[in-house]
Amino acid sequence: MNGLARASVRFRPASFAGSFVALLFAAAMVMACGTLLQTGVTAHVAPVRYAHVPVVVAPDPDARITVGHGEDRETEGEPLTDTPRLSAAFAPRIAAEPGVAAAVPDIAFPVQGAGLTALTGRNWDARAVEGVAAAQGHAPAAGEVVLDPGSARAAHTGVGRTVTLTAPGGTATYRVAGLTAPGTAATAYFAESAAPRLSGHPGLADAVAVLPRPGVSTAEAADQARHAVGRAADVRTGDGRGAAEQPRLAGAKEMLTAIGGSFGGIAAATAVFVVMGTVALAVGQRRREIALLRAIGATPRQIRRTVATEAVLVAPLAGLAGLLPGVALARWWLDQLVRRDAVPHGVTLAVGWIPMVVAVGAGLLAALVAGLLAARRPSKARPSEALGEAAVERRRPGVIRTLLGTVAVAGGVVLAAVAAHTTGDDAASIALAVVFCFMAGVAFLGPVVAWLAAAILGLPLRAGGAPGALAAANTRANARALASAITPIVLVTAFAGTLLCMQSSLQHESSRQIRDGVVADQVIGSAGAGVPAGTAARAARVEGVADAVGVLRSGALYRASGALNSTSVLGVDGDPAQLPGVLALGLRTGSLAGLTRDGRTVAVDTLLAATAKVHVGDRISLWLGDGTALRPRVVATYSRGLGLGSLLLPRAVLAPHAASAFDTEVLVHDGPGADAGAVRRALADRLGVPGLRVTDRAGYRAQADRDLELNAWANRVMAAVLGGFAAVAAANTLVMTVLDRRREVALLRLAGTTRLQVLRMLRGEAVLVAVAGLAIGSAIAWITLVPIARGLTGAAPYLAPRTAAVLACATLLLTLTATTLPARALLRDARGA
Amino acid sequence: MATTGTSAVELRSLTRTYGRGEAAVHALRGIDLALPRGSFTAVMGPSGSGKSTFLQCAAGLDRPTGGEVLLGGEPITHLNENKLTKLRRSRVGFVFQSFNLLPSLTVQQNVLLPLRLAGASPDRRRAQALLADVGLDGHGRRRPGQLSGGQQQRVAIARALITRPEVIFADEPTGALDTGTARDILDLLRRAVDTMSATVVMVTHDPVAASRADRVLFLADGLLAGELHTPTPTAVADRMVTLTARGGTSLGAAA
Repeated sequence: MNGLARASVRFRPASFAGSFVALLFAAAMVMACGTLLQTGVTAHVAPVRYAHVPVVVAPDPDARITVGHGEDRETEGEPLTDTPRLSAAFAPRIAAEPGVAAAVPDIAFPVQGAGLTALTGRNWDARAVEGVAAAQGHAPAAGEVVLDPGSARAAHTGVGRTVTLTAPGGTATYRVAGLTAPGTAATAYFAESAAPRLSGHPGLADAVAVLPRPGVSTAEAADQARHAVGRAADVRTGDGRGAAEQPRLAGAKEMLTAIGGSFGGIAAATAVFVVMGTVALAVGQRRREIALLRAIGATPRQIRRTVATEAVLVAPLAGLAGLLPGVALARWWLDQLVRRDAVPHGVTLAVGWIPMVVAVGAGLLAALVAGLLAARRPSKARPSEALGEAAVERRRPGVIRTLLGTVAVAGGVVLAAVAAHTTGDDAASIALAVVFCFMAGVAFLGPVVAWLAAAILGLPLRAGGAPGALAAANTRANARALASAITPIVLVTAFAGTLLCMQSSLQHESSRQIRDGVVADQVIGSAGAGVPAGTAARAARVEGVADAVGVLRSGALYRASGALNSTSVLGVDGDPAQLPGVLALGLRTGSLAGLTRDGRTVAVDTLLAATAKVHVGDRISLWLGDGTALRPRVVATYSRGLGLGSLLLPRAVLAPHAASAFDTEVLVHDGPGADAGAVRRALADRLGVPGLRVTDRAGYRAQADRDLELNAWANRVMAAVLGGFAAVAAANTLVMTVLDRRREVALLRLAGTTRLQVLRMLRGEAVLVAVAGLAIGSAIAWITLVPIARGLTGAAPYLAPRTAAVLACATLLLTLTATTLPARALLRDARGA
Repeated sequence: MATTGTSAVELRSLTRTYGRGEAAVHALRGIDLALPRGSFTAVMGPSGSGKSTFLQCAAGLDRPTGGEVLLGGEPITHLNENKLTKLRRSRVGFVFQSFNLLPSLTVQQNVLLPLRLAGASPDRRRAQALLADVGLDGHGRRRPGQLSGGQQQRVAIARALITRPEVIFADEPTGALDTGTARDILDLLRRAVDTMSATVVMVTHDPVAASRADRVLFLADGLLAGELHTPTPTAVADRMVTLTARGGTSLGAAA
């Protein structure tokens, strides 16, 4: 029997082209996700800055909680939202260990000055970490600074002269005490005593570099460091130091694992789904051949074996061919993530054999199972049934099929209900699972769905003359073939629609809240790292200004039942009573007057309050950006958190724990009767801080949460990958179904149907397929999105009309092209014959 | 192999009904018949007379609703699908009107297919001899697509003969061919009966084709409506005219 299968694959590769294409793209998608997953699991970065320091004591990059009781107790970790930091007080304790020569706290903070943008401020001792010595001059004393030669040149200064620098802790003029060796990184070294205050986070350091005494091994030094810090911090050596240097690595790994795992799971399921559909279609199209084989004496088993052998011949080849494109996709994806700062530099793609085996194996298995299932019926059918000239469409759908379809749809509904209670990160994955359930339902109930669609949509079609009527009749009679064409269109619409719409709903609601919530007359922003503290106070003294409130935006984690979720947090300067003049948060319960400056109180967004199940008066567990845990009491809830920030804390509480202690913006409320233009000019002139820009309220940066931006991009990529795959599958299926109608087209031509009429008939069918697919796909996307959008934004889903139109047009175009091109080929052949 | 003396094909009160209740179509209403070995029988009848159903039931391609079919004296009606398939491939040969050959196999592979399906060692020499017999010497390595319609039918005949079957069933074997080619095909079938003592049952609507048989059976409305021995084309045509005029009532769905 092997010969038979090989012969048909070799002789008529065209009839396997459809399966091949589906398998290839499936393997590519699975390979890409698998590679990202493996990269996420194995990623590490080699230390650069800490390359000369054998032992680094670094903060834990994750916030951890313990969930469950007794036997089920486990620890859940979630990467911190900003730069993790540890207490600088560890340094002297580590230095006291006998084998340690020095323990230096490493402090880094952004510094700006005229002509200087990306300058890193450091404590003078931190030079020991890099081994940088002052090439000229001496160590900086209070009021002095050591610069790298490049920055000194850019600031038109030199040794013995002065430079004005702005650090999160304030702006001052420093005397340049010395210059580092030429070619070193853009750095400003401050006196050891001054650096902690200037950094904006006194008492905290990014890490502590441990230099062992001569003759003390790295392992011994690490043990002693561990002894000194206990379990309060991680002691890292070797490549582990890279993770300390790039605290974002933990988050990046988690994200890569999530992309590769959850999205990859859905992608793999979709791939299997599409492959099975395609293979089943291909087998179904060979009914005549199978019937002939049956007539001349092939047993059902022999038929099944032939089909299985064909799958085994085609699937591995297609899978192997898909590996390289898959790696290329993963590489592009990772590059983009690195470029978007979501993954630190130095993380390289891990291409391993496991994803390869999974990609090829999944395709093979899917093709095998689908082939066997599809061959089951024709192999069992009596040859006389199959040999009948008129390939009469089969009876009612089977009981199992209907049952599975109903279960899948029910599962989708249940999951959609569950999805209403999820937030941010998990929502996308659950949404995809919901879509997937509905998709499976559509696939199982396909013929019924297709028949209904044909019956309804056929009505207007029949009005369109003979070709229209033919198309309507065909689609109704061939509901099964129609179903296999509609399913991938539904797939494209549902996946792409859900992912894009989820994002646009968030963005739409977020910008609506910003539009309604930012009521300031002027917004002072910065071209660089941020607005230095004190700017707000100075702005408040400018003529025509009633209030000025500095706001600092950062991230935080909060605990909701057994999980840690990330969210955005807004730190506001000054008296909370002034806030309504610049920010209308949409207060719901409680009062901002209760927001104390000691970090024991917080105001939260209503959606977040619902997720965390807290009310005014309750306490909520928070982890600020650097890992500092708080358990403040909720004093108020407000409604515009999505756009403005879901947690509200006093700036003084937030700033020492944010990535940068600069204000993000200063919001200004003009005094009564003040001329907005005059105030803007006055602000621009009088603040005297380089790099500031003053705009009207539109200048408020649209995105409060950088996660949101990244999510938007990630969703677009996922939509493109899944949608692209489904589009290929849809085109593939359509081409296969059109090409299968060679005999019918020839017959129509013989019966006197003109080429144009045949084309019009096929186009009519294509439009019907596209419209039905779009309608069902949109319905699925909508059912999926309503609860999720409500959970995420508290509003109905929103899709920009333009995006919707583009999606619909693209689907229509795809369907028409994939129908018309093979139809033309058929008509050309028919003329030649 | 059954002993000589029994009929090659025997039908006992054979009925076949499609559908149920009101919509039921009675394609065969009770047929009793015995076809001797080494005979060439043509089956004729107007459209919807049940001749295709007759052929498929007799050949074990379809299951009768009632009655019994005996191939070489052995009842096949109660065999399961697997056994029936095995019986078909060893004792029955088929020639259909069209789509007889697998396009992916060469001519010789097509001829050998029944042996290969049976797991027997492919007898290439016999395949070549049969191909020579049907006038296709040297065409063994071609693909069906490279052959004319008549040549394809000859390959089908060679394939039907390869297992030395009890009976060859031919369903409109000349239906898609021009007169000259049709004559060649009929000559081949005739020769198979005369020189290889094969038994051939052929459904046709062509009086000329039918006249090449030893005996012509006429079917109308699912019943036997007479027969002709050593027929002539004119006699067959006359009988057909009578039948068609009489039986305009059948629905034509049983074909």
